[in-house]
Amino acid sequence: MFVQLVILGLLSGGVYVAVGVGFGLVWGVLNIVNLAHGALVIVGGYITWKLFTGLGLDPFLTLPLDALILFALGYGLQRGVINRIIRAPLLFTFLLTFGVNLVIVNILLLIFGPDFRSVSPSYSGQGFEFGSIVIPYVRLMSLAAAILLAAGLAFLLNRTRIGLAINAIASDRDAAQLVGIDLRHAYAVTYGLGAACAGVAGGLIALIQAITPTAGEPYTLQAFVVVILGGLGRVSATVVGGLAFGLVEAFAQSIPGSGSVFANAIAFGLMVLVLVTRPQGLMGRLK
Amino acid sequence: MIAAAASKQRWRRIFLIVGAIVAAYALLAPLTSLDVAQSANVPLLADKFWFRIATFIVMFIIMATAWNIIGGITGYAAFGNVAFFGIGAYTTGMLIAKAKWPFLLALPLAPVLAAAFAALVGLPLLRLRGHYFAVASLGVGVALGELVQNIDYNGQPVFGGASGLFLPILSIDNRGLFFFYLMCAAAALAMGVTWWVLRSRFGYGLIAIRENEEAAAVLGVNTTAHKVAAYALAAALTGLAGGIFSQWNVFINQDNAFPIEYNVQMILMALLGGTGTVFGPAVGAVLLQLLIQFLGGTLPISIQIPFVSDQAHPIVAQIILGLLLIVVVIFIPRGVIDFFGGRTRLSWAYLRRSLRETSL
Repeated sequence: MFVQLVILGLLSGGVYVAVGVGFGLVWGVLNIVNLAHGALVIVGGYITWKLFTGLGLDPFLTLPLDALILFALGYGLQRGVINRIIRAPLLFTFLLTFGVNLVIVNILLLIFGPDFRSVSPSYSGQGFEFGSIVIPYVRLMSLAAAILLAAGLAFLLNRTRIGLAINAIASDRDAAQLVGIDLRHAYAVTYGLGAACAGVAGGLIALIQAITPTAGEPYTLQAFVVVILGGLGRVSATVVGGLAFGLVEAFAQSIPGSGSVFANAIAFGLMVLVLVTRPQGLMGRLK
Repeated sequence: MIAAAASKQRWRRIFLIVGAIVAAYALLAPLTSLDVAQSANVPLLADKFWFRIATFIVMFIIMATAWNIIGGITGYAAFGNVAFFGIGAYTTGMLIAKAKWPFLLALPLAPVLAAAFAALVGLPLLRLRGHYFAVASLGVGVALGELVQNIDYNGQPVFGGASGLFLPILSIDNRGLFFFYLMCAAAALAMGVTWWVLRSRFGYGLIAIRENEEAAAVLGVNTTAHKVAAYALAAALTGLAGGIFSQWNVFINQDNAFPIEYNVQMILMALLGGTGTVFGPAVGAVLLQLLIQFLGGTLPISIQIPFVSDQAHPIVAQIILGLLLIVVVIFIPRGVIDFFGGRTRLSWAYLRRSLRETSL
């Protein structure tokens, strides 16, 4: 029972890692709590669904396409809209990203309608069996994809030129500008990367649950909790936060009578607890 | 310069007069629905429908004004104030529906419970700043709605569960008129409290916290007590609105007592009108709520959006609302009260300046 819960928790943690890394990047570098993150996740989900049902592509093969399309969308959004309020008080970034969220969700509603859409390839429902423990293939591959995504992002941030520029902005925006970094472009790339991660997360989510245009909202909130849990500022911390969140959720849902209806209440209770007792997160360093 | 100042004075006067006329109409129109007025052949200015919308608008005046105390004056971006609305609604609702209390006895407990809850969660939450406070307060709002809907005791939902809570209809004459004026009284109270706060030692402490919390603490402001008191005050007023709402609407559930979108709407109203002022949030509430109703197609005057079917109408309305939100945040971040107050006028130069100030 215990081992099964741990495995189940880690597996569902994969999705939270994917949702969290993009959100954490945008928050840590741009200082924007991106309330449109969940909507971007769902856009990724719909792209995967469309490619799967329309062209018959394997859902996992659509992930790079999700990332690419969402990167372009995110880049344009930041460059055209969000860059305009970077120097405004934080409330304005909240309201602006909420407005973006509203627009995206309702455009999705116009295009796809409110119906539930799910992606179920031939191998969904199958899995390994170890004695009494069952590990679904889809979940395992989602976890692998999420870890790959996080590793790729960490590589990009620490080993490439644009990644170093993003890191420089995170430490000191004005100094970064002084050494010749094009802030508008680098900001847009950062948000684009965040959106790309959201897109991949959306592709994974479409495999696990049926999606609707409004299904993204909980993921924005969960991304926030995951980033707080792990600690802001590093990809690896978000990975730990995501897996920890998956574990907590798995154990919470196993309590008889609680079921999944209290998922938000548990997540937020946990977050407030972490914020008040250990504000730098499980893995974080104080700035 | 003098001419410009005189022109600003004139604008200010014009806006004040227009505002006074609108307020007087809103307050007097309901009287035409009284039997006395009807038998004297006074034209009916306020039907059932008018009351529904007007009461709803005034409810938002209360919430936006209350949010202004914690968000505008104290500078803490509270994103979960709808929790207090819900607590107020469920306090009054439960007392009336389950304990059979009379409405006027149950109503005062709504603000009391909301304030007590705000003080309780405020103590840990208000230690957080910036984004952390905003999302933690949002979390409290979301979690509370979920708890209220799902808490069971002995297999029975305590608060009516998913099917909601029905209240007995208040048996009085002119019900619409009664609730409208009750809501107006609460709105007047909210604005009066704001007016008092802005002139009191307590309010100066709050403004000091907004401008620089460390400096305020050094100057001897008990920041924790001030913040918690401001939060509780905002909660009490929001809870009062919720309490009136539950009896007015007769039915409450998670969707109408804890609607997440109210969080954003009340903030947007305060911003649109102008934060930190007495009348700004009220102006913003009237403007935005009228716009929402207009786009939603519930006002007598409505538009036909070309190429859009009736079915898609509410969806397109939401998109327009989102775009409007984006435009307001980018171009008029200090609210429209700037124009009403005669301090500035809407011009290209104004929009360009707003853009330059916040742009990367």
